Amino acid sequence: MSTDLVAITGFATLFGLMMLRVPVGIAMGMVGVCGFGYLNGFTPALKLLAQSPIRTVTDANFAVIPLFLLMGAFASTSGMSRELFRAANTFLGHMKGGLGIATIAACGGFAAICGSSVATAATFSTVAYPEMRRYAYPEGFATGVIAAGGTLGIMIPPSTVLAVYGLITQQDIGRLFIAGIVPGLVAVSLYMATITAIGLLRPGFLPAGPRATWGDRLAALRDVWAVTLLFAFVIGGLYGGLFTATEAAGMGAGGAFIIAVLRRKLSWSDFWRCLLESVRTTAAVFTILIGALLFGYFLTITQTPQRVTELLTGTGLGPYGVLVLILLMYLVLGCVMDAMAMIILTVPIIFPVIQALGFDPIWFGIIIVMTVELGLIHPPVGMNVFVIKSVVKDVKISTIFYGVLPFVVTDIVRLAILILFPTLATFLPTHMG
Amino acid sequence: MESSVIDRVIHGIELTAAGFLAAVTALMFVSVFLRYLFAWSIPDSYDLSCLMLGILIFWGMAGAGYRGEHITVDLLWSVCAPRVQEAMDLFAALVTLVAMAAFAWMMGNKVLGTLRDNVLTYDTQMPVWVFYAVAWVGLAASVLLLVVRAVRLVLRSDAFARLSHHLTTAE
Amino acid sequence: AQDKPVNLKMSTWVPPTHPLQASIQAWINDITKESKGTITGTIYPAEQLGKAFDHYDMVRDGIADFAYISPGYQPGRFPIIAAGQIPFTFADGTAGTAALDAWYRKYAAREMKDVKVCMSFLHDPGTLHSRKKIVVPEDMKGLKVRPAHGTMGEFVTLLGGTNVKASAPEARDILERGVADAISFPWQSVILFGIDKVVKYHLDVPLYSTSYVWAMNKDVYDGMSVAQKKVIDDHCTTDWAVKFAGPWADFEAGGRAKMRAMPDHEVVPVTPDQLAQWKKAAAPLQKNWADAVRKTGANPDTVWAELQASLTRYKGGL
Ligand code: NA
Ligand code: NA
Repeated sequence: MSTDLVAITGFATLFGLMMLRVPVGIAMGMVGVCGFGYLNGFTPALKLLAQSPIRTVTDANFAVIPLFLLMGAFASTSGMSRELFRAANTFLGHMKGGLGIATIAACGGFAAICGSSVATAATFSTVAYPEMRRYAYPEGFATGVIAAGGTLGIMIPPSTVLAVYGLITQQDIGRLFIAGIVPGLVAVSLYMATITAIGLLRPGFLPAGPRATWGDRLAALRDVWAVTLLFAFVIGGLYGGLFTATEAAGMGAGGAFIIAVLRRKLSWSDFWRCLLESVRTTAAVFTILIGALLFGYFLTITQTPQRVTELLTGTGLGPYGVLVLILLMYLVLGCVMDAMAMIILTVPIIFPVIQALGFDPIWFGIIIVMTVELGLIHPPVGMNVFVIKSVVKDVKISTIFYGVLPFVVTDIVRLAILILFPTLATFLPTHMG
Repeated sequence: MESSVIDRVIHGIELTAAGFLAAVTALMFVSVFLRYLFAWSIPDSYDLSCLMLGILIFWGMAGAGYRGEHITVDLLWSVCAPRVQEAMDLFAALVTLVAMAAFAWMMGNKVLGTLRDNVLTYDTQMPVWVFYAVAWVGLAASVLLLVVRAVRLVLRSDAFARLSHHLTTAE
Repeated sequence: AQDKPVNLKMSTWVPPTHPLQASIQAWINDITKESKGTITGTIYPAEQLGKAFDHYDMVRDGIADFAYISPGYQPGRFPIIAAGQIPFTFADGTAGTAALDAWYRKYAAREMKDVKVCMSFLHDPGTLHSRKKIVVPEDMKGLKVRPAHGTMGEFVTLLGGTNVKASAPEARDILERGVADAISFPWQSVILFGIDKVVKYHLDVPLYSTSYVWAMNKDVYDGMSVAQKKVIDDHCTTDWAVKFAGPWADFEAGGRAKMRAMPDHEVVPVTPDQLAQWKKAAAPLQKNWADAVRKTGANPDTVWAELQASLTRYKGGL
C-alpha cells in the first residue's frame, strides 16, 4: 500500500470507530498506533505509548486546562453568575427583550472568568431561563439566547478551546486570549442588536420588564466587584506581562477560591465538587489530546499535512477561497463532532495550510473558535443545545434549535466581519506588554 | 462486584485526583506570590506540579472510562434501536479496554525504565519514577474498572446503562 | 548492488531553520551518494516524532532511526558525557567537538549501550544572558535562572540561585514575565529565539557548552548490508562530527559580535581575577561529575585525563 492509501485507510477506520461510539481519543490513539505500526513496525509503535502520553500529561503548559476549568467552577459555585445577571437586568431589563439582552451581558461577564461554553450555557439555563419564562418570553427565544450567550464562554478569555489551539500550534496562549477580547465584545454587541431587532420586528413577541431604580442598580453593581476583580487580575496580569498563561490560570483558580471562601459561598462539599468536576472534564479532554498526539505521529510519517497543504494550495482557489473551503468543512464537521475533538483532530492538518497561505496564526485561532462556536449551536449536534435541554427538561430540542437560528445568522455575519477586518483580533495582542 | 464497593473505589480514586488538582493549584498560586513578594521560587516546584498534573489526569481517566464519560460521536448511536445501542456500547467498552490495557502495559515498562535510568529532578534530585508509578496506578485501576464496565454491559444492568448515557462534553 | 533500499527517519527537536538541519541534510546527501542511492533519509524536525527529552528512548525503541540527543536533559542518566557540560572546559565549538567526539568514542558503547552512537558534538560555548547585571559569581545569589542542562542547573543551585524550567521557545516568555532573571544560552540562539528583546546583559566568558549525540537505532544498523554499514561507519567519524557541528558553532559565535554592536545591550567584560573567581566557583561541579562517574564503575580521574589529552590534541580546551 502506498503511504497515501495507508493514510486514507487510517482516516476511514477512525471515522468508522467513532461512529460506533468508540471514544474519540481512544479511536485516534488506536488508529495512530496501528497505522504507525503498519508503516514502521509494531514494537516501535507500542513504544509510542510509553513515551508520548506521559510527556503530554506532565507538560506544564497543559496545566492551563484544569486550572481554568477550576476557576470557572469556583466562580459559578460562589454565585457570581446570578449576581451578574441581576446587575445586567437592573440596567437593561426594562427594554423590549431586555431580559434577553441582560442574559447576553451576563453571559459575556461570566465568560470573562469561565473558559467553557457548555458551562456558561448550563449556568444560565438555571439562572436566566426561569426569569425569562416568568415574564412570558417564548421558550424557543429564551433557550436560543442562552445557547448563543453560552458560546461567548470560549470566545471571551479565558478559553479552553483557544488554549488547546495554542498548545497544538505552539502559539502563545496569552496572546490568543487577548486576541479574543474584541471579537468577544463584537459578539456581545451583535447578539444584543439581534435581540433588539427581533423585538422591533415582532411587536408583542418580547415583553419589557419593570424599570429598576438607580438605588437598585448601584446595589447590584456593588455585587459584581468579585467578577470584575478576578477578570482584571487574571487578564490584566496576562496582558501586562505579569504572568504566563499557566500562572494566570493558577492565579485565577486560586483567586476564585479565595473570593468564594471570603464570601462564605463555598462549603466543604462545594469545594470537592468543583475539583471533581474539573478533574472529570480534564480527564475527558486529555484522553483526546493523548489520542490526537498518537494519531499525529501516524500523520507525520505519512506526511499527510504536507499532502493536504499541497492539495489545497494547488487548487487555484487563492488564499480566501481555500479559507472558505476550510471553514465550510468545519461547519460540516460541527454537525457530528464536539468542538474540542474537532479542533484537536483537524488543526494539526489545517494549520500548515493556513501558514502556507500566509494567514496570521493568532487571527486564525479566533476564526476557528468562532467556527466551532457555530457548531455548538447548529443542528443536528449542538452541545450547548443539549446541555440546555438537560437542564430545562420540558422544552423540545427542535424548539431550541429554532430559537437559536437568528443567532446562527449573527454568527455568520460576525465571521465575515472578522475575515474582512483581521485587525479586530490582531491589534491588542501586538500591543501586549 | 457489589456496585457500592465499586462506587466507593471510584469515588476514592476521583477524590485523590481532585486532591492532586488542589495541590497543583496551591503550588502554582504560592509560587507566583513568592516570586513577586520575595523573588524566590520553591525548588522543583515546576517539576512537582507537572508530575502531580500527570497523576491527576491518569487517575481522572479511570473515572471517565468507567462511567463512559469520554467524548464520543453520538450521531449514529442516537438514532439506533436500544438493542443496537447496547451492542455499540459493549463494542466501545471492549475497544477502550484493549487500548487502555496496552497503554497501561507500556506505561508500566516506562516506569521501570525510568527507575533503571536513574532520571532525577533538577533541583532536589528526586527520583522521577516514583511519580510515574503513582500515575500508573491510575491506569491500572482504569483497566480493572473497564473490565467491570464490560461485564456489567454484558449483564445489562439497567441502572448502569442509564448512568453511562450521561451527557459529557469538554469545551 | 543487492542492497535493500532504506529510508532513514531522522528526528530532531530544533526548528528547520536551525543550522543543524542543513548539516544533517548535507550528511545524508553524502550517504545517499556513497551508498549509490540505497540509503536515503527524511528529516523530521521540531519534535514531530517526539519531545526533545525522549530522543534517546525514541532511537532506542525504533520510533526514529537517527536522533539528535541532548543527554544533559536527563540529569543522572548519562554521567560520563556530562563532562562536556562542565563550565570552562571548552574554548570553542569546532575544536571542542573534535576533542569531545574523539574522547567519547571509547565510552559511548558503554554509556549508551542501547543505541549506536554515530558522533558527539558541542555547540559553541554559551554564557549567561540576564535582565540584571552579572559580573561575579556572587551576583547569582537569589537569581532565577533557566539552565541549559542539569550541570548548569547544579551550578545555579551551587551559587545560591534557583532553577526555572522552560523549553527554548518558552524561554523568552518567562524572561519577559520575570519568571526567570537570566538564562544560559549560546550567543546567536539568543537572537534566534527573540531573547535579545528581553535581556540586556551578557557575561563575556565561554562559560559552558552542551554535549549532544547523533545516534542510530541498532536494529536498523544490523539490518544493513556490509556495504551499507561501511557507508554509515564512514559517516560516523570525528571529521564528520566537526562538519556537522562546525556551521552551528560559527553561527553561534557570530551572535557575540552582533550583540556587541547592539546599542542597548551590554556585553559585560570579565577581568582575569573575576574569571578565576568563576572557575573556582565551578570547581565543585567537576567533583560532583567525578562522583557520578565513579558510581558507574569507571575511574573518573582516567576519564578526565583522557578528555584533557584530547582537548590538548585538538586544541579545543580553554
Ligand atoms: Na471565557
Ligand atoms: Na453542531
